Amino acid sequence: MAEAREVLSVQGLSAGWGPLRVIHDLDLIVKAGERIGLVGLNGHGKTTLFYAIAGLTGWQRGSILLNGRQIGRTRSQGPGRYTHQIVRQGLALIPQGDEIFHGLTVEEHLDSGAFTPRAWKERATRKRRIYDVFPPLRKLSNTPVGRLSGGERRMVSIGRGLMAEASLFLVDEPSLGLAPKIGKGVLDALMSIELSDSAMVIAEQNIALLEGKVDRVIGMHVGKLKGGASAALMLNSNRDL
Amino acid sequence: MNWPYVISNAIVLACIYGTLAIGISITWSSLGLLNLAYGFIFALSGYGAWLTSQYVVAVTPDALRGAMILAGGVATGALGGVLVCALAFIPVHDKPNFTIRGMIATLAISLMGTQLLLWWFGPRSKSLPEIFGASKRSLFGLVLTADKIGNVIVSIAMLLIVLTWMRSSRRGLEIRAMMMNPHAASIVGIGVRRTSFYVMAITGGLAGLSAVLLSQTYYIQPFNGLTPMIKGVSIALCGGLGSVPGAVIAALLLGFNEAMTSVALGGQYVLMTQFLLIILIILVRPRGIAGLLDKAREA
Repeated sequence: MAEAREVLSVQGLSAGWGPLRVIHDLDLIVKAGERIGLVGLNGHGKTTLFYAIAGLTGWQRGSILLNGRQIGRTRSQGPGRYTHQIVRQGLALIPQGDEIFHGLTVEEHLDSGAFTPRAWKERATRKRRIYDVFPPLRKLSNTPVGRLSGGERRMVSIGRGLMAEASLFLVDEPSLGLAPKIGKGVLDALMSIELSDSAMVIAEQNIALLEGKVDRVIGMHVGKLKGGASAALMLNSNRDL
Repeated sequence: MNWPYVISNAIVLACIYGTLAIGISITWSSLGLLNLAYGFIFALSGYGAWLTSQYVVAVTPDALRGAMILAGGVATGALGGVLVCALAFIPVHDKPNFTIRGMIATLAISLMGTQLLLWWFGPRSKSLPEIFGASKRSLFGLVLTADKIGNVIVSIAMLLIVLTWMRSSRRGLEIRAMMMNPHAASIVGIGVRRTSFYVMAITGGLAGLSAVLLSQTYYIQPFNGLTPMIKGVSIALCGGLGSVPGAVIAALLLGFNEAMTSVALGGQYVLMTQFLLIILIILVRPRGIAGLLDKAREA
């Protein structure tokens, strides 16, 4: 296998909220075509890591290269000020829980995920693709998202992320709060997505759901990564966690 | 009591106040900014329209004069909105305690701005020519003046244009997304700063429109934006901040109340009954009328 492109390269990242430091000097490299599981308990910084990559934390410092371009900044305030620029450079963050627009219909919701001009132009075909991945959404397309069930909302939220023309998908706890069967279905849908030149990081508490489906599993513990955090350590590390 | 007269007055007032209230409502729910400079934008666009009527209208053909004055007012309002956005929203929007800071910043702009208007244009009130003409029309035994009809048609048309634009365009989708969940909006890549300029320009334009419409009844003065702003804010509050249909219903209720009070009790009691009604509505429905209309559950 030829040496794959580095989609994301994080070096010396620290981030947190106010006086709280959640991420401690963290390094992470994600290569194109990889599907990575990020496992860790509540409160150990999985979400904060994703938010730091998107520039949404209270403060952060350290280098973050997305497709070779620097998106990490030393910030002490202004969460989210540069997020739209980072999204334009190819990041799709699929947040934890119900970060949805409750009054928009499913279709408008999917439209709102197609942020870059090219994705916006292709949004009809992209929507069809999402409906193929999540068939239940097709007949709900004109319903306000606020009236959907938890599982359907999660599908909408993930679908919105997949609408983007992104090279890095960060999926935050896709099975959280869902019935096991539905959560498994959502994860299967995530696995069925063709990555080609992009990469995907899935944060999950339930390691059994990821078993054997992702390329490598990284553990997260008190703001640091354990296991195959860089490509040099790349092996089937889900055993020695 | 002359019911048709009361109702027609109520509808005219509802249209004007509704336009204001929707502007305030959209600003609050999408940017989280309670725009206390709205009264200043209102007064400023009144003067903008007056300047248009003094200097630009002389060179336009007769048929377009009314439209020209309206356009002048709306454009000044939009410009004022952008100015307020650049001065009061952009510097503080991602700093701690933004809500209070934004309120104080817009209040400061409002105070300074109205003093500037006073200094520049003098204390003498100005009046606009009748932009809808002076014709009268009789309908069901009710005499409707041209400015009443014009007020209703123009404000409804403007609102429909704005709402259709928000429903169908991409920028409108961004604004609506920001109104519902600003955090998720930044996650999908909607830039707060850029969107805020659209929002403020549009709501400023709405303020400008209602300034021109209201100037058909009142004079243009540096401080005449205050009362409409207070009414706009309270209507927006009554309707449930952030809801357009709620604001329309609240505007109809309060417009009707105002017309009724001025006929039954006298004009000086309008503000009293107005706020009594508002307090009653807020007591019964603390989050405004909108909750009754909302089909989707929140969060």
